[in-house]
Amino acid sequence: MIRALIPISAFRRIPSAGVFLIFAVLCLTFTGLVVLFSVSQEQADPGALLRKQIIWLAIALFAGGITSCINLQALRPFIPALGLFAAFLLVLVLVPGIGVRVNGAQRWIDLGPMRLQASEIGKLGLLFVLAHYLAANRRYLDEFIRGFAIPCGLLAVYCGLIFIEPDYGTCFLCGAVGGCLLFLAGVRLKFLIPVALLALTFFSIAVYMDPVRMRRITSFLDVQGNREDSAYQLWQGILAFGAGGLHGVGLGEGRQKLSFLPEAHTDFIFAIIGEEGGFFFSSGVVLLFVTIFFIGVLQLKRAPDLYQYLLVMGALLFITFQALINIGVVTGCLPTKGMSLPFISYGGSNLVLMFCLTGIILNGFRSWELPLLRRQREL
Amino acid sequence: MSKAFVSSFRSSLLCAAVALAFLVLIGRLVQLHVTGRSELLAYVEKSRKMVQMVEARRGNIVDRQGNILATTHTTMNLGVDPQSVRETDFPKLPALAELIGQPLKDVQTAFERKSRTAVEGRAVRLIRWATLAKGLSEDAYEAVMALGIQGVYGNRNFARTYPGGRLAAHVLGYVNAEETPVSGIERSFDYYLRGQDGWRETERDGRRREVARFREREVAPTNGLNVELSIDQMVQHIVEREIDRLVAEYHPDSVSILVSEPSSGHLLAMANYPTFDLNEYFDISKHPLANQRNRALTDILEPGSTFKIVPAAATLNEGIAQSGDIFQTGLAKVEYKGRALSLPKDHGNGYDQLTLHGIVMKSSNRGAAQLGMLLGEDRLRSYASAFGFGEKTGIDLSGEVPGILHPVKNWDGLTITRMPMGHAVSATPMQIHNAMAVVANGGVLMKPQLVRRVFDPSGEEIVNFMPKARRRVVSSEVARELSQMLVDVVSPEGTARRAQIEHFQIAGKTGTTQKIVDGRYSHKQHVASFSGFFPAGKPELVITVIVDHPKFDGLGYGGAISGPAFRNIARACINHLGIRPYREDARSLAMRLSYDEFSGRFAD
Repeated sequence: MIRALIPISAFRRIPSAGVFLIFAVLCLTFTGLVVLFSVSQEQADPGALLRKQIIWLAIALFAGGITSCINLQALRPFIPALGLFAAFLLVLVLVPGIGVRVNGAQRWIDLGPMRLQASEIGKLGLLFVLAHYLAANRRYLDEFIRGFAIPCGLLAVYCGLIFIEPDYGTCFLCGAVGGCLLFLAGVRLKFLIPVALLALTFFSIAVYMDPVRMRRITSFLDVQGNREDSAYQLWQGILAFGAGGLHGVGLGEGRQKLSFLPEAHTDFIFAIIGEEGGFFFSSGVVLLFVTIFFIGVLQLKRAPDLYQYLLVMGALLFITFQALINIGVVTGCLPTKGMSLPFISYGGSNLVLMFCLTGIILNGFRSWELPLLRRQREL
Repeated sequence: MSKAFVSSFRSSLLCAAVALAFLVLIGRLVQLHVTGRSELLAYVEKSRKMVQMVEARRGNIVDRQGNILATTHTTMNLGVDPQSVRETDFPKLPALAELIGQPLKDVQTAFERKSRTAVEGRAVRLIRWATLAKGLSEDAYEAVMALGIQGVYGNRNFARTYPGGRLAAHVLGYVNAEETPVSGIERSFDYYLRGQDGWRETERDGRRREVARFREREVAPTNGLNVELSIDQMVQHIVEREIDRLVAEYHPDSVSILVSEPSSGHLLAMANYPTFDLNEYFDISKHPLANQRNRALTDILEPGSTFKIVPAAATLNEGIAQSGDIFQTGLAKVEYKGRALSLPKDHGNGYDQLTLHGIVMKSSNRGAAQLGMLLGEDRLRSYASAFGFGEKTGIDLSGEVPGILHPVKNWDGLTITRMPMGHAVSATPMQIHNAMAVVANGGVLMKPQLVRRVFDPSGEEIVNFMPKARRRVVSSEVARELSQMLVDVVSPEGTARRAQIEHFQIAGKTGTTQKIVDGRYSHKQHVASFSGFFPAGKPELVITVIVDHPKFDGLGYGGAISGPAFRNIARACINHLGIRPYREDARSLAMRLSYDEFSGRFAD
């Protein structure tokens, strides 16, 4: 019992893929701090946001360090409890008085000095629960009940709880990642595809019924026509890229943060990168996310079992999908959805989660056996 | 994939999908950053670039003593945004109402009324600005801001004000709410007064506020120049007070009074009734638009007997007759160019014989007609023209009319007998005044001017409007001789007894014109005029008083109504300007008795 929690050695050698991964993540984090500092020049206390973010970064690095050292295999017996705890938090946040309501959505649990976004724990819980269950029931994945209905139900519980907060974006993200894990684990397509379509239909209807979110969709479809009101933020974000051009206007020289872009330091920070750094920087950020994803995917072939495979893949997908959605939104490819850019956007909970996920990926890289060829040479 | 636990097809498919998504994003970035950039930049420029006007301050108009007649000062328009007021500020409202001098109830209404229905049945519109007070001074605004009521704010603007209100209204003119100079000096000297607005090329942020650090170019405004009038505020005031008295006593249709220096042509006062308040020009119900007309320049009348100085001066200047030559003023008909022309009547004061001197002094119509006939049409007309009739005086104000002086070919048979007495010719009060100023100025016609100089805010002179002589009309000897005759007009025997002032020799000429009503000379409606100057030997002021249709029962309007007005103004001006009697005049006053015997009326 105790042995299960003993971490694998913190000093165990980090493989070169892990170095690349750390490098890419730190690059993104550093870019985020620099751009955050540039954006916050317009605020009353220019250093306030940066100081908070650095405190969060320290917490995140600590959390990431832990997740990169724990023994993933030994953790398995505790996963049901972990999953229950995450689901409990998701329920707790809905309780009036405990959950903090901001802009009509109850997503945060007030912990005194800081607020915890419950869905971040929920994502982590979902990831472990699905990976553990699918790996444990690998043999029965062809069946309807054990191979489809149960994992699907688990996914639906988490998504549903997030959905009624409401946080449609995170719900969609969890649904997509969860769906991909089911798909990879080998759930039969004849079950998966209809349910996925059904879920999408349900999701669409929910959006359609919600006037605020429906408006976002319509304004996304006609940015030019709504650029003075509902698509204002989106339009200003798009303008930022045009203003930046190839080389950018230079750090600190951007104008879109001057009350043009309301969420310049959080969801729309990528637009500021585009304006101040130009195409080279914005595409650089995209390439770093590509690097993280494909480094991870290439290492996955070394995964010892389905559990760890799904765990690392899920972590990768959470990071990658979130980046894709955020950049897609800011560049006007997707309808406006409040989702932060991993490692870069201002915001504590998400930063901690992202480093936890990175830690999980790194953990895998370190504990998995190295390729046979390499080991021979070492001998 | 080497491990069998995941289908390599499925994982490859997922990777391909992710790779495709990233490719799409890169493509989109290329599109936004590079290929579609110019289009986006156009929008960016439009929403950021801003050219702010920096308004130049309009110059002042001051009188010859430096008193401000028109000035510009900053005022604040105060308003409230009812959407952003807080209940907690409501106890401060009585203090606010007191500061801005508005009833508390109105202020409360402005704070509480949050929306209005634009059209019946249409959606309600939120009120974002409710005016609380207009034209607040900056001090009052500071005091209001010190209360710290959220949602209350003001806009700064320049306001043109005229401290004198009605004073010299027609001379000054005004600038309307669109900042267009409408009339008077404001309009004709707008070039100097206006100044040059400056501008800032700058950028603004998302809330349309200027971002000063991105200011690219700043051109400071050049404030307007100040204009110093020849008008003397005190003299103007004296004149307007006199007009008030005339209006109260005689209820005339209109009055115009002009005061000027004969030697320079500079006007010291120019006033009309009816008039208006420059600060309330927009209030048409109180001040009808017609009141804004500068009647001294725009309205024409037949000058009447004041015109007799023209034939008299012409006759003397041409050497046709001497002042002592005797004319048979009892004749009713005189043969002229083979035709017997009937002469006009002299009302009540017919004389059989008068010298040229006596004709002027007694204002004999028949005598004047004979002078005209001696001169002939061409010379009479050319002298009238030389005295400035039939042409604009060229004063600095717009709207002046040239009057009517027909060419000889348009004259009818009787014109030669009627024009010398000031009929069949129409002139503005300004022209009548200017003709008299020729006599006062030794025979030289001056351009009447209202502006002495233009100076910049530091006081340095930019332009000086020197006196401008237009032409010599008669010789100085003739002018002196004529002014001697005019002195006798203002003597106990003359028509303008009431214009006399002790210790001063006054020269002047009365005029009583029958108004033309429905195409006929009316016996009931008259224009009473008097134009004169003093001290006669060395004239310092010319004053002309024209009173249109005074309600007065009796004869000799010019002497009875305009004469005393002249005297009142002249007296006050003597005190104010410190004019002293001319020595030579004083001596001749002492000799008056013998002089009168020489030039007086011949026995019947």
